[in-house]
Amino acid sequence: MKLLIGQILPYITVTLFTLGILYRLGRWAGARIVHNITLSPWLQTNSQVAIRVSSEAFLFRNLFRFDRALWAGALLMHFALLNVLGGHIVGFGFLGEQFALIPGLGITPELSREISGLLGSIFGIVLWIALLYLLYRRFTKEAVKMVTEPSDNLWLIYLLVLVGIGNIMRFVPGYHIEYELVRDYISALILFHPVVDMDLLNSVFFLAHLLLVQILLIVFPFSKLMHVFGMFAERYIVNRVYNDPAPGLPNVDVASARKAGLGVPDGDAAEEEV
Amino acid sequence: MPEYKGMVQPTRASVAEMRKIHIEPVSDEIKPDKAIEFLDQIRKKFRSFVIAMESCTKCGLCAENCHTYLGTGDPNNIPTNRAELIRKIYKRYFTLEGRWFGKLVGAEDISLDVIEQWYSYFYQCSQCRRCAHVCPFGIDTCEVTFIGRQLLHWLGISPKLHATTGAAMEKVGNHTALPKPGIVDTLEFMAEEVLDEFGVEVEFPVDKPGSDIMYIPSSADFLLNPYTLMGAGMFFTYIGANWTIPSTVTEAGNFGFLFDQYWTQRGNVMRLLNVAQELGIKKIVWGECGHGWRAAKMYIPTLADRPVRWPLTHIHDEIANLILKNELKLDPSKNSKPVTLHDPCNYVRACGLNDNMRVIMNACVTDFREMCPHGADNFCCGGGAAILFDDPEMYRRRILLSKKKAEQVRATGVGKDGEGILCAPCSICKAQLYPMVEEHELGVEVKGLIDLVGKALVWK
Repeated sequence: MKLLIGQILPYITVTLFTLGILYRLGRWAGARIVHNITLSPWLQTNSQVAIRVSSEAFLFRNLFRFDRALWAGALLMHFALLNVLGGHIVGFGFLGEQFALIPGLGITPELSREISGLLGSIFGIVLWIALLYLLYRRFTKEAVKMVTEPSDNLWLIYLLVLVGIGNIMRFVPGYHIEYELVRDYISALILFHPVVDMDLLNSVFFLAHLLLVQILLIVFPFSKLMHVFGMFAERYIVNRVYNDPAPGLPNVDVASARKAGLGVPDGDAAEEEV
Repeated sequence: MPEYKGMVQPTRASVAEMRKIHIEPVSDEIKPDKAIEFLDQIRKKFRSFVIAMESCTKCGLCAENCHTYLGTGDPNNIPTNRAELIRKIYKRYFTLEGRWFGKLVGAEDISLDVIEQWYSYFYQCSQCRRCAHVCPFGIDTCEVTFIGRQLLHWLGISPKLHATTGAAMEKVGNHTALPKPGIVDTLEFMAEEVLDEFGVEVEFPVDKPGSDIMYIPSSADFLLNPYTLMGAGMFFTYIGANWTIPSTVTEAGNFGFLFDQYWTQRGNVMRLLNVAQELGIKKIVWGECGHGWRAAKMYIPTLADRPVRWPLTHIHDEIANLILKNELKLDPSKNSKPVTLHDPCNYVRACGLNDNMRVIMNACVTDFREMCPHGADNFCCGGGAAILFDDPEMYRRRILLSKKKAEQVRATGVGKDGEGILCAPCSICKAQLYPMVEEHELGVEVKGLIDLVGKALVWK
């Protein structure tokens, strides 16, 4: 089991995840943008497009405009997720001492570990609660219930379990895992060294967390989670620069037309003259 | 066949009617297989469709932003569920998740029933793009129903209304099958009306060679919305334009856009370019028609089979331009009744006409009241994409589809005393709203925007 999940599967996961995403992106790129279906009001410069796309991607502009509750839940979930992912990288990479590396702040490595731990705890909890809200919403809001497929709920439950296990390892002292152990494990994997004998893999929670993450990554390219990329692909189609051609009618001189009294019946025009 | 297993459906074109627009209907036995074959062809072409199939997260935001769902309460009228009618098939045949997980991710085998569902629900969609406008990703369900209708068309299933209109366009160049003598007569009659009612001498030149401007009116303006065409005639006379109406394309609309974006739509584009060349014109000015303006402005560049030599512009853009340059003398007090503006979906979400309509409105009326929401956030009239079916079941549905619009109009209070004006500068909006303002008892009269311009012009 340890051999399979901890040693062999990670390589398969990385391969399938990468190839899968390339396959999906290639599939999208293969179809063309046939007609201009830009949404108006027009964005007239590339910077306007950049602002629109980033405000949609990072601030969830449309959710904010049309559904505040969903906006709050979705933004918290994604923001926490982003931080949790980033936290995994810097946490294991720098053993929690990443903030000490920022020059000029005077943060000691000890303080950095404290901050790292605190942020990790906060985002771990926020992520879990936001996921729970999204699941709650799927069961309680009538219109949302009607668009939900079983897999939509399963994804949320899956993530709740995955994040839940992560939180257990963080908050239950008995199951706590030191950054160093994980760092050594990951570097061993990268260097193609054997990892089966590592103590880390004796933690059932770690092994479960690792397995769930890997299954998620394998399924990711073939699932709706691809919306991370799909959102940019779609925005690239519907939010582009468009400038209306200049108005103006050929050979039209309104002033002289009015002077000539065009359209005004002769009788009246004559009256006018008099 | 107005209903199929509880689903409303518009009356279908007969085999003979389909043949007139060059389609040989596919027999029921091979329909499902053919549907998959056509779907496979088309999915490889349109990225907008592929992304709509593969990127939706089912957040449900589109539901309460769709007038069709709000009016009917039918779950299949939620934009993402409407797309799901085709997505479930797409998943089953063209994705790994659908092939492996089936029902779990909502994949389903193709069947005649599914095709009948497409016919019912894709022709309840107004293709107004409000879902694209609100979707956090910008997914455009309109692209899905375009393709759904295209597949149905290739299978030989199109509404009688659309198919016969397509045939009329090919035959005479307009939706109402009005031949040239009828066009000339009507225009002469209109010139008399203008003289009687506004005391203005207007000529409507038809096929005049060497004209500078070619004006493309909606054919409905000849019969249903005469004041729109009269207003355009007065405007062109007022500014002293050398203009003409081509008898072979007296149609701002293009129904091909709504059910057959290949031959029917392209055929009419080429017809337009031909007559522009024959008459030697310099600029094409488009009349009031929502889908038609989108089809022209946004689709002619990619549909034309040869370089397009003429700039295309909308009459609203030109009028607004002259108003901003202070060249038109308009007297708003001639339009003193309370007015509200229904933003045609294609104008505000696909053609960028939002501001110019308001420039005109503010210059032409004294009491203009905005709807809530308005502009790009506006709701459709419920007739968008020409789902103007008259068979009783579909007509009842149209009343439901216009429910949201009726609420909006009522909230502005323009019809409180029974003499408000609902300005809806689009032929399909007008055709939908003429009966609907009666059904919902809104106390308003439906008018175009050029109608108001024509009335407000000061001649002396």
